[in-house]
Amino acid sequence: MKNRGATILAIIGAALLILPLVVHDTFVLRVLTEGVMWIGLAIAFDVIAGYTGYLNFGHGAFFGIGAYTIGILMMQAHLPFWAALPAGGVAAGIVALIAGIPTLRLKGAYFAIATWALSRAIQQLALNMEMTGGPDGMRLEAFLNPQFFYYLMLITVGATFAILWYLLERAPFGLKLKAIREDEEGAKALGLNPTKLKMQSFILSALPTGILGGIYAYWITFIDPSSTLGDLVSDQAVVMVVFGGMGTLFGPALGAILIFAFKTIFWAYLSDFQLLYLIILGALIAISVIFIPNGLWGTLVKRKAGATRPEQKAEPASEPAALSAVAAPEEGN
Amino acid sequence: MMELLPQALTDGILLGGIYITIAIAFSLTYGVMHVIDFAVGEWIMFGAFTGYYLNKWTGLDPFLFLPVIFVLYFGVGYVIQPVIHRVLSGTKGNPFLMGLVFTFGLAIMFRGLALTAFGFYSNSIPSAFSEGSFNLEPLGLTVTIPTVRLVGLAYALGITLILHYLLKKTNFGLGVRALAQHKDAAGLMGVNSKRTGSYVYGIYVGISAMTGVLLGCILSIGAQMGNEYTIFAFFVVVLAGMGYLAGVPWAALLLGLVQSIFMIYFNPSHTLLAVFAILYIILLISPRGLFGKGV
Repeated sequence: MKNRGATILAIIGAALLILPLVVHDTFVLRVLTEGVMWIGLAIAFDVIAGYTGYLNFGHGAFFGIGAYTIGILMMQAHLPFWAALPAGGVAAGIVALIAGIPTLRLKGAYFAIATWALSRAIQQLALNMEMTGGPDGMRLEAFLNPQFFYYLMLITVGATFAILWYLLERAPFGLKLKAIREDEEGAKALGLNPTKLKMQSFILSALPTGILGGIYAYWITFIDPSSTLGDLVSDQAVVMVVFGGMGTLFGPALGAILIFAFKTIFWAYLSDFQLLYLIILGALIAISVIFIPNGLWGTLVKRKAGATRPEQKAEPASEPAALSAVAAPEEGN
Repeated sequence: MMELLPQALTDGILLGGIYITIAIAFSLTYGVMHVIDFAVGEWIMFGAFTGYYLNKWTGLDPFLFLPVIFVLYFGVGYVIQPVIHRVLSGTKGNPFLMGLVFTFGLAIMFRGLALTAFGFYSNSIPSAFSEGSFNLEPLGLTVTIPTVRLVGLAYALGITLILHYLLKKTNFGLGVRALAQHKDAAGLMGVNSKRTGSYVYGIYVGISAMTGVLLGCILSIGAQMGNEYTIFAFFVVVLAGMGYLAGVPWAALLLGLVQSIFMIYFNPSHTLLAVFAILYIILLISPRGLFGKGV
């Protein structure tokens, strides 16, 4: 089983590596690049959300911070891209540290609120600052080489995946995080320092997100507060991870692929109905939570979690009533 | 600029009074269900739009609709709560996380629905009270008090008193307080956590929707207003201390003051940043709220 998994992974990796040699269509390459980026964003989000059990509803803030850091360093400090790129990750990590100090000592509800509010506040900041160009956004010098960005994205996400795989699935660090998720008091009693570990996992989640944001900024060459700091980035990360399966690395990756494929098709054919996409995202979160709380990966592949459920009391009456109620406010108006 | 200060303080207190209602109901829901409802701003927004359209169709004053809106949204909340309850009492995955994610998903969906139905425009609800205002001249300073804000404050005080009575003097309130203290023990003592939860959630949704109408009369309404009020509700609840109801009025008044001071003296679009800065400092220094009595 393990070997088969490794073989499949190697085949997928090799296929992704040689793909640009076969496919010359810029549009396809562009879609693939963004898809790979979303896999990276989803697995980075899952470090703090799935493994540690602390929901970060402002994941997009780190993406935007990375993008803006690189934009500012390249356009205003005239640094080369390679010098600016690590700074994007470091900036995101520092913001995670600052935001984590007061909130990670507390219960998860505070953290979820605070990160969400933080992402809104950072968006306001970007809208009001001169350095960021305000609502007009910021233009970076164009470097038009789709292959370069595809490989850069692929290598960054691949490296992130490998590092996270080692840290979370092979090293004791992952077990420690899971211990905090399952029982924080118990973890403390075993001699772990939950606040420090949560901090580490939050920074570990923010760092790659900031770097991906930086690559995105240089690739797209135009960033503004709504595209990089808007709620869509955070919302999509939540959908991908919840739908794909929290607390694993493959679940979020699967979720990212499926949701991103859906988004691409939706955008291509139904671009006039962008608000419908928002509704579908929200509905998908709610439906996943009710029907597949372990996500696709947890439900289809890792079935062992279901065995612990003692008795399942079905409530057939409440569901249709509730679903019609969800639609009711719209009709009520 | 100093002559504007009494006006700013008055506006702030009048506005803060209204936030009390939202924050008490929000805090109550958290106490009973132990989950934060991310859709709080969206309920306010839906209520505001319901008031707006009812006013447009019937031409009657929006204040007359408040009971109708309460009953309507009480019903909506009452039927939605069992789903949240089901998510929270599930054994698969992490129920607490799932509850948070669920309300987050609801909030996204509601925002999408509202933007589809109402567009991106911003409006305000006309009311007979909207135009009137009167001046007070304490200590030689002129302070203008818009009637609509005063009525709003009276409404807020009324709701707060009713909730206080419900919580402290009735059996239902006793059950709610017991659930907030210890869910399992309350269940053993015969409190029906499911039904009580549905009532509390219904009351909370109803109050939020009603308050939305008031905020629509005083400030403005728009499909994207929900975000701001969700942050405000969090701000008040965190400042008061999560689940500590007695701290809510003071935190709400403080929020009103911050908002009105930023509106008059600074850039109004920096209000959110100020709110976040205060939130950060409070969480850093006294994570259990201004009074240190939260959970």
